[in-house]
Amino acid sequence: MRLLAVTVTIGAALLVMMTAPSYAAGGDAIFKKGCTGCHYTDGPAKEKTIADQLAKKGPELWYAGSKFQKAWLAAWLQNPKLIRPLKYNSLTEKNSGDHPKLSAGDAAAVTDFLMGLTSKEVKAGTIKPSESAQARNIFSKKAPCGGCHEYPVKGNTVGGRSGPSLVGASKRLNPDWIHAYLTNIKAFKPVRDMPDFGSVLNKKDLESLAAYVATFE
Amino acid sequence: MSKFVIVTTMMLGLALSAAGSAQAADSKQVFDFYCAQCHGIDGKGRGINVTKDFATDPRNLTDSSEMAKRSDEDLRGVIKDGGPSISKSALMPPWGSTLTSDEVEGLVKYIRKLCDCKGK
Repeated sequence: MRLLAVTVTIGAALLVMMTAPSYAAGGDAIFKKGCTGCHYTDGPAKEKTIADQLAKKGPELWYAGSKFQKAWLAAWLQNPKLIRPLKYNSLTEKNSGDHPKLSAGDAAAVTDFLMGLTSKEVKAGTIKPSESAQARNIFSKKAPCGGCHEYPVKGNTVGGRSGPSLVGASKRLNPDWIHAYLTNIKAFKPVRDMPDFGSVLNKKDLESLAAYVATFE
Repeated sequence: MSKFVIVTTMMLGLALSAAGSAQAADSKQVFDFYCAQCHGIDGKGRGINVTKDFATDPRNLTDSSEMAKRSDEDLRGVIKDGGPSISKSALMPPWGSTLTSDEVEGLVKYIRKLCDCKGK
């Protein structure tokens, strides 16, 4: 009887171990089921023409693990808030904010999956968030990012509306990714409506600009 | 013989006009994708980014008298190198590393259609 109980217990444990997917694999499966209609995760970038870009319903996520901060991503997937004022790829329609909400468990699993998708373009530990007069000058005058992106000024949101908002960038974005994106934008988005500033700004400008954007509350 | 020449000429004409309209369609797509966010899809300078925070008035590209003051070379330059290249706002960014030469040429022609004017 005792032998039977032990055997059953071991058998049950083995069964659970064999059938339960690992956390990351679970996130992969959840993503495949619900997210691939709008997002792709197999990089590198596929878009070659404007038509390719316009055919996309949402941003590519093949470098999500380099771009986002894990805690922000897990929270956002449970309670998505507007990042873009306008609908993706539209200059006329407002963002309706209808991104699906995930449960805490699914959000954690999908976050684990997405954080595993990284780009070798992003070098860890390059940028520490900091504000400087040089960066403020670039952001507002030399390469006026606020023309197309919302950003925070003393608790208010100001700026353009065609690009994703930079409000909350300090919690959302990895500072090293901001720098890599500004430096070599084509590696991430070969076709996009943002100019290539990597060939316009010098190395120090790019570093200080990325560090500044990474402070935005 | 003359019938052959007429048919050939007609076919050539059709092919050329098809190529021309394809280029025009492409240039509109390029304009709508890159330029309309500030200049507006109609080119009148009231794109979605032009809020009260926008520090300049994007050029109304349908303003014939203003646009006629600029040469095609000026337009090429400002598209590639941005507003400061003609002492205008940096809110007009440099697109030279983003657009191909053909796309820039297509935009110059498209803008000339919007203003219905020739450069100086």
